[in-house]
Amino acid sequence: MAEAATRPLTAEPALKSALVCEDVHKSFGALEVLKGVSLTAQVGDVIAMLGSSGSGKSTFLRCINLLEIPDSGRISVGGELIRMTKTKAGRTIPADPNQVDRIRARLGMVFQQFNLWSHMTVLQNVIEAPIHVLKVPKAEALERAKAVLNKVGLDDKLDYYPSHLSGGQQQRAAIARALAMEPDVLLFDEPTSALDPELVGEVMRVIRQLAEEGRTMIVVTHEMGFAREVSSHVVFLHLGRVEEEGPPQEVFGTQKSERFRQFLASNL
Amino acid sequence: MFDLKGYGWMLWDGVQLTLAVAVCAMVVALFLGLIGAWGKLSSVPVARLAAETYTTVIRGVPELILILIVYYGVPTLIQDVAETMGADIFVDFNSFIAGFLTIGFVYGAFATEVFRGAYQAVPRGQIEAAYAIGMSRMLMARRILLPQMWRFALPGLGNVWMVLIKATALISVIQLPELMRNADIAARAVRQPFTFFFAASLIYLAITIVSMTVQHRAEAWANRGVRRS
Repeated sequence: MAEAATRPLTAEPALKSALVCEDVHKSFGALEVLKGVSLTAQVGDVIAMLGSSGSGKSTFLRCINLLEIPDSGRISVGGELIRMTKTKAGRTIPADPNQVDRIRARLGMVFQQFNLWSHMTVLQNVIEAPIHVLKVPKAEALERAKAVLNKVGLDDKLDYYPSHLSGGQQQRAAIARALAMEPDVLLFDEPTSALDPELVGEVMRVIRQLAEEGRTMIVVTHEMGFAREVSSHVVFLHLGRVEEEGPPQEVFGTQKSERFRQFLASNL
Repeated sequence: MFDLKGYGWMLWDGVQLTLAVAVCAMVVALFLGLIGAWGKLSSVPVARLAAETYTTVIRGVPELILILIVYYGVPTLIQDVAETMGADIFVDFNSFIAGFLTIGFVYGAFATEVFRGAYQAVPRGQIEAAYAIGMSRMLMARRILLPQMWRFALPGLGNVWMVLIKATALISVIQLPELMRNADIAARAVRQPFTFFFAASLIYLAITIVSMTVQHRAEAWANRGVRRS
């Protein structure tokens, strides 16, 4: 953990950037939620995104896999730039829907509300996209699914429907669903915010384990312990701008920004 | 009182035709309903306008009038138009096809509203999760959206089906020998209107009761994975 935390973000130029976002802007109507956010994740980085509600951190995460379409800015995944174009009305849209689908398949997303498909069992949820999106043969998909469900500790719940699981179990199943795609980058959108306090631990343990395996992850979270101890890089967003960023010791140590100090004080 | 005087076979023939018309009409209604709902929810203004016009007009005009317009009105209209262009043709519609298309067209408007409501009832997160994992729109619709829409659509569609079954009786006015028409013929032949119309109504009732049982099974299946409280 400690080594991961001390590794400077740009120390290994030989490594390909897993994810680069440059100057991402997004408005909802008159409200500008993102006012130019940039972020680079090298392979193996664990980036914790902090910020109070309304800071734009979830919107930013959703812009990365185009669940929200940024108004402007550039996003590339594994060196591949997502091509955008403008409609006649001036709205920005992806130039190639197939490229978007392909890139999304390489970005595993874990939602605050889990969003497991409710008409499918846990196992069906996990094999669905490998079979139908990646065209993996069913036998192989099943094997993969059992491996990832074992990893998140749900190997005894394969045939349960999501509604019969606790929130923590559902979120772990959702993580397994994302892992089964063998994504290059994992995106977590406040993965524990919808959970009862006693269930947060089991989900955070899984996320920590993934971080320690060297997976590239962007984690929007309110878990300060995770940001401090596990992340390699902390980004603090405030009103749509990056207010502070750097390795956790530095960011938590110096607390240059007054806003960040206030944020920390209200989150302890 | 329940002596059918050897005309029972007419009712039996009629039932088969009624069911055939109803099933064909329901298929048309489901198809038009999905397209109509897609139009209503579309971001394309023309599609929205077309779907809106369809449901407004169709739901506002009695089925009986539409059946008469399609079966009697349209062929004569075509003939009149042909005549003004110097052609002397005779157009005649098949009453089975005209009947199920018209009924299907009418109930497609009701199915449109059912599907629209069902679409809106599917939680957005379910759809987002499908997109986020790399599904195309078609794949998302087929694997995630439609299976979940059935759950919300089935009660409404069951309703549409029952009203539709009964509406097929209206096709008797265009001489299609379905249950209602045959009951009428038999009743006149033996002058026992009560016997035959009562028998026919019991048969309609039987069909709808069986339909309800099937619907409950289908709902139970569509609700798999939903916690009952």
